[in-house]
Formats: sequence, C-alpha cells, structure tokens
Amino acid sequence: MTDVKAELVGNLWKIVTEVGQQVEEDDTLMILESMKMEIPITTPVAGVVKAILANEGDVVQEGQTVAVVEPA
Amino acid sequence: MGGADRIEQQHAKNKLTARERIDLLFDAATFRELGLLAHQHTMSGDAGDPDRSPADGVVTGEGLIDGRRVYCAAYDFTVMAGSMGMIGEQKVTRLRHKALLNRIPMVWLLDSAGARIQEAAGSTFAGSGALFYEQVQMSGVVPQVAAMLGPCAAGTAYIPGLADFVPMVKETSSMALGGARLVRAATGEETTDHAMGGSQVHCYVSGVGDVEVDDDAACIAAVREYLSFFPSNNRETPPRRETDDLRTRRIEGLNKLVPTNPRAAYDMRKVVRRLVDGEHVFEIKPAWARNIITAFARFDGSAVGIVANQPMFKGGALDIDAADKAARFITLCDAFNIPLVFLEDVPGFIVGTEMERQGIIRHGAKMLYAVSEATVPKVTVVLRKAYGAGYYVMCGRGYQPDGLFAWPSAEISVMGPEGAVEILFPKQIAASDDPAATHQELLTTVRRTIDPYIAASWAYVDDVIDPADTRRVIIDALEGAATKRLSRPWRKHGVRPV
Repeated sequence: MTDVKAELVGNLWKIVTEVGQQVEEDDTLMILESMKMEIPITTPVAGVVKAILANEGDVVQEGQTVAVVEPA
Repeated sequence: MGGADRIEQQHAKNKLTARERIDLLFDAATFRELGLLAHQHTMSGDAGDPDRSPADGVVTGEGLIDGRRVYCAAYDFTVMAGSMGMIGEQKVTRLRHKALLNRIPMVWLLDSAGARIQEAAGSTFAGSGALFYEQVQMSGVVPQVAAMLGPCAAGTAYIPGLADFVPMVKETSSMALGGARLVRAATGEETTDHAMGGSQVHCYVSGVGDVEVDDDAACIAAVREYLSFFPSNNRETPPRRETDDLRTRRIEGLNKLVPTNPRAAYDMRKVVRRLVDGEHVFEIKPAWARNIITAFARFDGSAVGIVANQPMFKGGALDIDAADKAARFITLCDAFNIPLVFLEDVPGFIVGTEMERQGIIRHGAKMLYAVSEATVPKVTVVLRKAYGAGYYVMCGRGYQPDGLFAWPSAEISVMGPEGAVEILFPKQIAASDDPAATHQELLTTVRRTIDPYIAASWAYVDDVIDPADTRRVIIDALEGAATKRLSRPWRKHGVRPV
C-alpha cells in the first residue's frame, strides 16, 4: 500500500478519483487549493485507489495522507 | 589494484574499478598518474609490504577533460575497501594543494569504507582534519566535484558535503556521517548504509546529492557534462560551445505552455527547454525541492544558470528547501562567472504555522542574500505571477537585474487579486446587500491594477515582450551585461543567513 500525501497545507478543492479506480503513476487524484493555486495531488505509483481519506472542503496539512493506492 | 578476485567482486556489484572510471573520465590517453609507487607503511616505520596496498588504495593524477586539465583522486575499493590511509591521503593532499596552486578543478571519485581505522585510531587523531579546511579554501576558487560511486562513510562524507557537485549512483552509492555499524554502536538504531544514505535519501529527501544516475558510466558522463559549463577557476569565464541554434529564434506558441487561468499549474521545464540552445538542459537537484528548477544550459553558446519557478509542484510557491536550493545554485554560478537567468511564475512564499516552525524567514533570507550578492549578469523574465517576496528573490527590480522583462500575462504585485480583496475589503463585502457581487466588483477593480504595462509605464520593468521573442531578449540582455563590473564596499565578508 502506498500513501498519497498532501505536499503542503491547503483546502481540498476537488476529488477527481474514486475508490476502486485504476490509476497510472503521476495521475491526479485530487486538487488542492493553496496559495491561490490549484495544486494537483498525484499518485507516486500505478495501481488501484484503495481509500480516500479526506473530503472536499477539508483543510489538509502538509504530509497528511489523503489517499491510499495499492500498487499494481 | 587489489587483484583479480577483488576486481571481479567489484564488477559483480555493478561497479567499475577506479582505473576504468578514470579511463571514462579523461580524454583518451591524457591521464598521468602521480603516486603510483606509494603504498602503506607499518606504524613502526618499516617499508611494509608494497603488494598489500597498491597505490595505497587511491589512484591520483591529472588529465584532460574536453581538453582542459583536471585533478582526480579515485578511491580504489579493491584495495583495503578504498579506506583512506596515511600515505594515500598524502597523495590526495598533494592534489588538493596543486589544484589550489594551479587553479585547476578537482574531482573525487568516491568508493571508500572511510578512514583506515588501524592507522587513525588513538589521539594522533588530534592532527587530522585538514582536508576539509583545504576544501573550504578551494571553495569558489576551483570547481570541486565529488562523484559518489560507492560508500562514503563517516567524516569523509564531508568531502561531498563541501563539494560543489555531487552525482550519486543508484543502489551502489551511499553517504552518511556514521556508517550502519557505527550507528548501531552509537545509538542502537538498526539500519543499512543504503537505507540511511543512498541516492533515494540524498537526491530526494535531504538534498545533499545533486543528481541520481543509473550506473558508473552515467555518473562519469554527468561529471564531464557538469564541468563543461564551468571555467577552470574563478578568474576565467566558462568555455563557449558553438551552436547552430539561432540567437533570434522565435518560439511561436511558447505562451501557450502557460495556462491563461492564473490558478492552473503547468510544467515550467517545457518552457526552459524551448528557450535554450538545442533544447538541452542539465538540471541540478531535479528530484529535490521540485517547486523550483535550477539548471545549466546555454544561450547562444554561453553557459548560464537558470532559476525557474515550477508551478507543477506546490504551485511553484517557495518553501525552505526551494529557497536553499536556489540560494546554493545562485552562489555557485556567481562564484564561477556563470550568468543567471530567472524565469518567474511564483505565487509567493508558502505561509503558515508549519513554515514558520521550519524557519522560512531564515531560509528565505538565504535566497535574498544570494541574489543580492550575485554580481554576474542577471536577467529576469516574468511569465505570470510575481507576488510578494517571491518577486524579490526571483531577482525583481530591487535586486539589480541587468534586464527585467515581462510577458503580457505578467502579474507583478504584493499579492494576487483574491488575497488583496480578502485582506483589504472585508468590511465592504460584509456590509453589502449582495456580498458576492461586491466581491466580484472589487476583484475586477484590484485585478485592473495588476498589469505589466503599469509597471512598464513607471519604468520599473524594461519592457513588455512578445513571449515568442523571449530567447532573443534574454541573449541580448546577457550580451549587454557581459562587460559588467560591479564593485562593492570592502568587507571581510557579510553575515550570511544559514
């Protein structure tokens, strides 16, 4: 299992994936809004999204795990 | 070297021998070895056994790289695990002295178990350590490269720590102030040299390594390429490399790489690549602090250092590691007369409790310091955002760029329109019958004040340029500043933030 973490503190603006989805390395799973920028949160590995651990509108912290991907 | 068995073991680990590495590093048939006949002596002063430590575990000498002289110390892991013995270190010391005396670059090819403890244990240690003192004296006078091709344990890890450029081979190289065995003895922590100090740590997390490469050959190629951007010493200018790439080449569609939505991310590497000679870029620390790009490239044949914000990561906003990475790179370029090009699209420094705890003020100050101190030609192009102190550290007007240009999409401002409205007009919005409409109105009003033509009309930027002309504009500005001479009041040295 690979944790997908937020790179910096911000507002979780959009979740663009769902549990069970196949993803490729560097695919965008969520978009964080921080510093007035839309910052993609990407998966470091290809695989299947196993869990989404935050909701749209949440403030997430730097280093917080926001999703879990099972590597292919 | 340490015999056929040891050489076989070295190859089995996917490593080349010290001499094979030297053959790859230098132009054919140019290497002259110094100290071949040296070997370990017994502590009692007997001649010892010359076969026990051929060349005393380190091959030293000089040769040519692209026709220019370089000194090299290649630690030989096949001889007593490349351990640093007394005689071998005399050889390397001699090279360091020659490097400084003759103003010639120095390359270490590191593959060593560290200090040869049987020669170093006990309080004669009191006389040791001059190698780092000497590296500091060499710093900024001659280029120093420490290529990591194997382990580099204990205090000797300060060799790369003080070097200018540190490429690391994946899997086989590591560096740590204490090797795994010492760590266990000192603190009880269980780890391995690789887990603690491999390239996956130093090129991604700690920032001590500069580039991760796949094998020894790629590592040596990286060393050669790095040096191609550098003069032999700080009194010379970098060598030119002729190019077929037209200096006036227009780059249609360059602005299309930058989204019109000011909130959207994009890959600045593509912009950098399109601008430079032959689209060839040599990135330093590409996998660490990815929110800023530091890279060597050439414009019309001349070497430059490029500092570019990378909106793809953290929106291009600056944090402690990005500031450290840029400050170090700017200082390196300035020391060796390599002009600087800043490509700016920065929403500012990241703010908040976590950043303050990490000391963002102290780290950001390093970047301010480095950019202020740099006297090489500096050219700044603002592509999109240039907010707050981000604009300053990316060589805004106050930092005396020799050319400051803006694309029509540039937004130079203390902060973006959204932030400004939230901070300046909360009462108006709260008191409004239609807060959303008022918010929108205020946003439009503020947005109208953020316009590069306003900055140009106050003569704060030199010109607003057609993005397709960016290459030509940069080359012209660099050329115009090539004769720049800047003298500052005498001081021993400033008090550099660290």
